Amino acid sequence: MNTSHKRLLLTAALTALLGACATVPQGPPPEVVRLQSDLDRLHSDPRIAANAGAELGNADAAVDVLARNSRSLDADSYQQGVYIADHLIRIAEASALARFEEERGAQLGAERERLLARASMTEERTVVTEVRREHPVRTDTGELVPQARAELMSMQNQLPGVESRLDARGLVIRLGDFMFEPGQAMLTGSAQQSLDGVARVLNSDTDAGITIEGFGGPMALARANAVRDYLDARGVDISRIDARSVTRRDIAMADGDRRVDIVIRSEYR
Amino acid sequence: MRSFCFVLVAALAMSGAAHAVDRDGAQLELAQAINAVQAAERDDAARYARADLDESHAMLASAQAASDHRDWTGLAMYSERAKVSADLASARSRQHRAEAATAEIERSVDSLRAQLPNGGAP
Repeated sequence: MNTSHKRLLLTAALTALLGACATVPQGPPPEVVRLQSDLDRLHSDPRIAANAGAELGNADAAVDVLARNSRSLDADSYQQGVYIADHLIRIAEASALARFEEERGAQLGAERERLLARASMTEERTVVTEVRREHPVRTDTGELVPQARAELMSMQNQLPGVESRLDARGLVIRLGDFMFEPGQAMLTGSAQQSLDGVARVLNSDTDAGITIEGFGGPMALARANAVRDYLDARGVDISRIDARSVTRRDIAMADGDRRVDIVIRSEYR
Repeated sequence: MRSFCFVLVAALAMSGAAHAVDRDGAQLELAQAINAVQAAERDDAARYARADLDESHAMLASAQAASDHRDWTGLAMYSERAKVSADLASARSRQHRAEAATAEIERSVDSLRAQLPNGGAP
């Protein structure tokens, strides 16, 4: 075999090799690469890595099986694998972030308790007495407000950290949907902490009337009653409390607006 | 979160026996999917993870249609999809509620710090 023949054979062999390389795909399919990239992102997120439960392990295992078998699976099984692995990754992310927020909420709850303890020592001595001394209270526009309004403002000042506002109905304390267990009338720990403060204020002014209004959904009345019962258990005279549900027919209400309002009315109204 | 049926399906497919998903196994998958969807509904997923809950309902309907045609492989696959979609709806609902509750407490803490001398520092 002369040199030109050898070169020809070598060129043919290289061409065949390159052709084979071009037709056999290398590495995992793009969907699997994306899933692996999503997993890497989860593992590198400290909020998720620190709160990863079994869900992240399940997602790791599913992507691993898919990566190892993707070339040999039929189309239906491969698509099923991608669907399941993708969902397991998103479940792992949501579960870990939920745990992260729950832990952060617990830490903030402890901080709130500490601050409330400090506030109860200082504000009862200063804010309340100042409001009473400054009767009658003026609004921002300089107009005198009724004594009733001043009393309610005094109560509001004793409830730092509780979502409340003064409106035509009185002092309104709002408990959002997330203050109750999902789809239930059971109060969360956070809601109970808020209501402990509300009960303290109501027990210090036994003349104020109380209406508890549940809004939205079949749980509205049950949730209003749960709040009433909790206040009753904290020493608030139940005969002062009127609990009821408010329906869309009663007022204009945003779709899905689920909450409980505690409306405190002063005796002066 | 138990969702390794797909591993089984993959193994069966590789061995050329994907058609061998039996009726009992498929109906067990369906029962687990229904439980997961009901759990998501109890977790208020209709409010916080509507798209994922809707997807789980759609997959459940496809699974039941496959069952009507005695397509056990289809029943198992759609049931598994319904289950993971429902599990995702539950997880996202839990995440949303945790974020909302923490945000409320955080507002309270900020409000208290603003009112106390020295920001309430110990």
